[in-house]
Amino acid sequence: MGLLKWGRTKSPWIIHFNTGGCNACDIEVVAALMPRYDIERFGIIIRGSPRHADVLVVTGPVTRQVKDRLVRIYEQVPEPKSVIAVGSCAISGAPFADCYNVYGGIDTVIPVDVYVPGCPPKPEAIINGIVKLIEKLKAG
Amino acid sequence: MVPEGVVALLEILLFPGFLFLIALAFFYEWVDRKLLAKLQNRYGPLYTGPSGLLQPFADFIKLLSKEDITPKAADKFMFSCAPLFLLSFPLLALFLVPVAGLKALISFEGDLIFLMFLFTLIAVTVFIAGWSSVSRFSTVGGVRAAFQMLGYEIPMTLVMVGPAIAARTLSISQIVGWQTHNAAWFIWFQPIGFAIFVLCLLAELEFIPFDIPEAATEIVAGWSTEYSGRKLALIRLGKDVELVLAASLITSLFLGGPNSSLPILAIGFFLLKTTLAVVLLTTLRALFARFRIDQMIAGAWKYVIPLAILQMVLIQLGFGR
Ligand code: SF4
Repeated sequence: MGLLKWGRTKSPWIIHFNTGGCNACDIEVVAALMPRYDIERFGIIIRGSPRHADVLVVTGPVTRQVKDRLVRIYEQVPEPKSVIAVGSCAISGAPFADCYNVYGGIDTVIPVDVYVPGCPPKPEAIINGIVKLIEKLKAG
Repeated sequence: MVPEGVVALLEILLFPGFLFLIALAFFYEWVDRKLLAKLQNRYGPLYTGPSGLLQPFADFIKLLSKEDITPKAADKFMFSCAPLFLLSFPLLALFLVPVAGLKALISFEGDLIFLMFLFTLIAVTVFIAGWSSVSRFSTVGGVRAAFQMLGYEIPMTLVMVGPAIAARTLSISQIVGWQTHNAAWFIWFQPIGFAIFVLCLLAELEFIPFDIPEAATEIVAGWSTEYSGRKLALIRLGKDVELVLAASLITSLFLGGPNSSLPILAIGFFLLKTTLAVVLLTTLRALFARFRIDQMIAGAWKYVIPLAILQMVLIQLGFGR
């Protein structure tokens, strides 16, 4: 494994964005960062600015209101970047899929690398998703 | 015999020059993160190298390889220059501090003043970095950094002069020499000065009670919001080097510096004392919550500056040496 790839797989920094979910997924994402699960073990830290991040963690369905902002934030993340869709909402829109103001899952707007199903997914599931992402980075 | 020029070059490039200082910077970032995690009941970096030792290096490599975005509205020249300055100023300042032995790589009468000047320049560069990004978050962050400087600059300068008055010299190497010669550390003579110095360094490093210019929960990432890729890598490395600088200044002004002219012993003492200083800074950062900018400045002018002046008066009355 080259030095560059090693660096990339060992320090994926995330930015967390809620596009209009019910907030339960966000609490699970935060739980994964807290002492009990502590994903800083894998070198993952949460950053405030999309310019510092490598991985965009999205929770919630894409609403009309948030669509432009989601695309904008996605574009502000510097290459190479990846996207994790956390929760059923982010995958398909789940309970909100039929709403007049909802487009559906995240992949209707931006490309998604890893899907983490669950409503909300457990922190273990989120960590599993991140491990899948790291494997994908290693392979690609 | 090896010619003197080669030795000097090796000293600047390898030890105790660039390579050693940058390795030390990465190491202290690891110490800082690991200890902070321990204090918060976490593990911290664990799987990158032995117990996560290589984590800062991995972050650095990754940031170097990322896309480097310059915002359209930014002042391109200043925006690109600021990260370079933010790395080179603390590195230059570290050359004035004795690491192995009693003499620094560069030392002259008055280098303490030059070092204070470099400290101010770092704060000004932070302001310029925020200002030239032309984003509202970085502008607010940059202005806060400049404001914060108004608060901590004066007490820090006052207490840094304390050891200089007591040792009757303005050179850091000679202050260290005085402490070694008299087998006395200034922390025992000037405890108020030491406390104020640590407090002001926390502000200079933007560590938690004073991380007002970064304030992730208020203004995205503060003055560095628009930086990415290589420039962010340089900024982060610069911050780490600044941590080394802060620790080695605590060591040489108040803890007696590398207490020996034998290189091996000196470097051992230096590492031991700077690690202690980093542990102190990190513990303080884990203990506190962030102040508001007005609280910080009001506190600095109402309490910290009078205390610093009190320390000066005590030294003049003969209690500080
Ligand atoms: S997936 Fe479920 S828990 Fe998560 S945001 Fe949607 S409704 Fe809430």
